[in-house]
Amino acid sequence: MNTIRQEWFSNIRSDLLAGLVVALALIPEAIAFSIIAGVDPKVGLYASFCIAVVIAFTGGRPGMISAATGAMALLMVTLVKDHGLEYLFAATVLTGVLQIIAGWIRLGELMRFVSRSVVTGFVNALAILIFMAQLPELIDVPWPVYVMTAAGLGIIYGLPLLTKAVPSPLIAIIVLTVISVTVGIDVRTVGDMGDLPTTPPVLLVPNLPLTLETLSVIFPYSLTLMVVGLLESLMTATIVDDLTDTNSDKSRECVGQGVANIASGFMGGMAGCAMIGQSVINIKSGGRGRLSTLSAGIFLLALLMFLGDWVSRIPMAALVAVMIMVSVGTFNWDSIRNLRSHPASSSMVMIVTVMVTVSTHDLAQGVLSGVLLSGFFFAHKVGRILSISSRSEDEGRTRNYTILGQVFFASADRFVQSFDFQEVIEAVRIDVSRAHFWDITAVSALDKVVMKFRREGTEVEVLGLNEASATMVDRFALHDKDEPADLLLPH
Amino acid sequence: MLKQRKILACVDQSPYADYVADYAAWAARKLTLPLELLHIIDRHQEISVSTDHSGAIGVDAQENLLNQLTEEEGTRTRQVRERGRVFLNGLRQRCEANEAISVDTRQRYGQLLGTLEEQQQDVALYVLGRRGESAERTRRDLGRHVEMISRQVRRPILTVAGEFVEPRSALIAYDGKRMTRRCVELIAQNPALNDIPVHVIMSGKLATDADKHLQWARNTLNTAGFTVETAYLPGDPEQEITRAIGERQADLLVMGAYSRSPLRSLILGSRTNDLLRASQVPTVTIHL
Repeated sequence: MNTIRQEWFSNIRSDLLAGLVVALALIPEAIAFSIIAGVDPKVGLYASFCIAVVIAFTGGRPGMISAATGAMALLMVTLVKDHGLEYLFAATVLTGVLQIIAGWIRLGELMRFVSRSVVTGFVNALAILIFMAQLPELIDVPWPVYVMTAAGLGIIYGLPLLTKAVPSPLIAIIVLTVISVTVGIDVRTVGDMGDLPTTPPVLLVPNLPLTLETLSVIFPYSLTLMVVGLLESLMTATIVDDLTDTNSDKSRECVGQGVANIASGFMGGMAGCAMIGQSVINIKSGGRGRLSTLSAGIFLLALLMFLGDWVSRIPMAALVAVMIMVSVGTFNWDSIRNLRSHPASSSMVMIVTVMVTVSTHDLAQGVLSGVLLSGFFFAHKVGRILSISSRSEDEGRTRNYTILGQVFFASADRFVQSFDFQEVIEAVRIDVSRAHFWDITAVSALDKVVMKFRREGTEVEVLGLNEASATMVDRFALHDKDEPADLLLPH
Repeated sequence: MLKQRKILACVDQSPYADYVADYAAWAARKLTLPLELLHIIDRHQEISVSTDHSGAIGVDAQENLLNQLTEEEGTRTRQVRERGRVFLNGLRQRCEANEAISVDTRQRYGQLLGTLEEQQQDVALYVLGRRGESAERTRRDLGRHVEMISRQVRRPILTVAGEFVEPRSALIAYDGKRMTRRCVELIAQNPALNDIPVHVIMSGKLATDADKHLQWARNTLNTAGFTVETAYLPGDPEQEITRAIGERQADLLVMGAYSRSPLRSLILGSRTNDLLRASQVPTVTIHL
């Protein structure tokens, strides 16, 4: 009972105000993302309404805003183009189902393999993609569009210097709409982009045969949508955690995203996820509780119902200005300044994540490359923690090798090369008790060393192999050996 | 060596703080236990104070917002912390003037209930105000936390109802069952209290073995050197015990605490709660 009160009703006034600010910013975004996906604006608007309202109850991170997003919209383009809207709804529902499963099996814990650099790359790639999606509205258009976009940006960033009481993106939209309608400038408007909602969403079961063929069409899309949706949601949840200095329930968030997407799919909406920019706006405007998310969704629909006609007259230039703001606000500018000071490998991971994402328009692939690359760099770095020293004993008859450090696939070659097989010697003693053999590669490298010495007719004795190979067991037998902290240190 | 348990007095910045401190000091003196005054700062991170509704995000929006929120919260916390420290020091002096043996103060972040549960290990007796800061607003008889706390922590709780009056006689609400027998035993275990006469009062439906139970209570307490008076008052326990407190001019009520089944008390109501509500004197609730 206490948490319900705390999460819903402890911050009512601020939550409602923030919800209104967010709703006003959600409208242009939902329209813009629908256009990216190649569907009518109403699909994105219905999705934003459904997702925001449902996630308010089911989500694990109070105060986070989820709705139709650019990251998800980019993944649907070919599905919509090749197969049509019904398939999109079905894919959205399936995405939700997959996300619920992911939440149950705690897939969110895999997020710990996504390093800071990958997250930064993800965010930057997202910002770049959102910006690039605006380019069609800025290329090959009459000159008034440029003037209006610039004026829109001027209002968005200039007005807060005068007053912070009203949302400046809203004022920008209103001013530009009024001017373009009264002066009669002939520019593209939202109405030109497709249908806007005129009624609240209704239950709509996708009209598709329940066959394996349908599944085989939508499953790959749903899988990517699931991954990207959860990635962005969990990243955003962490950002909101940091901003508010509170914790969130990540598994509940995964399941919640799933439920929200299922609802969206059955209400004629597209798949969505948490939004970094909107969540920052929400927190900035004072939103903290679930009420802010709920009210954002409800205000969104209410505004559309009341202002439907006016929304269709909003010039696209105004939307572009708002989206450029979102893109600028989402981009992590620090990461550019840090390129010089951060380790080259981190910067490389970030840049590769961005480049792969921007070239494929698929954040999942970008993140995967980033994660692989950071794993690669890590293995490389840890592989260098290996030192091998030797001294001859027994009046030159025996040589003692002492191995210190980590032996695994990335360092196995160096391990083998550190032995002098050309030396004419009777016996060799290899002391590995202060080394760690992490995998099969390491053990076979040791075998190889032993065989090579034997081939020279040299006696080989290996000391301390039991201690060294304890790390190979997947569940470390810590009770009779090291504390975790000691594992990477020589014994 | 066993760590000596302490008396934990929970204070907030309300008029009750002084009463709580006085009773806690009295208990510390009587039981010769160290006293700790605890002030809990609930940071209310779920509440925001933003006035920025511009909805615009520019370069470094996230970093700037994080810095700004951190800065604001830091300033706010520093103020609250300093105010709390001064307040606690005032109470400490008050307790020391009342001859409590060793008085310590502590401020902690968190919520009342969780914090009290965490401390349970080292606590012999909790002292709480019946109403706190929220009383002015909620106008409820019990501070909103008292009931929940007494359900959660397994230690005696002294609930303070008003200004300090040196207790001159105590009354045990007794029913012969395990919980209230435990009350009697616990009192008997503290012979330091035996300069206070004790009334053991049984009430409720006529029970045939009431005499036997009362006899046991009388013997137990007599052995520990207490002056005991027992009585059986048939009728509604809430009314009878409240009347008995008035007639016998008891300054302290001792009773068994809430039954462990929240479901049962949800349906039947809690007798403990009724008594706690009705009683105008400080009350010690004791758990099994």
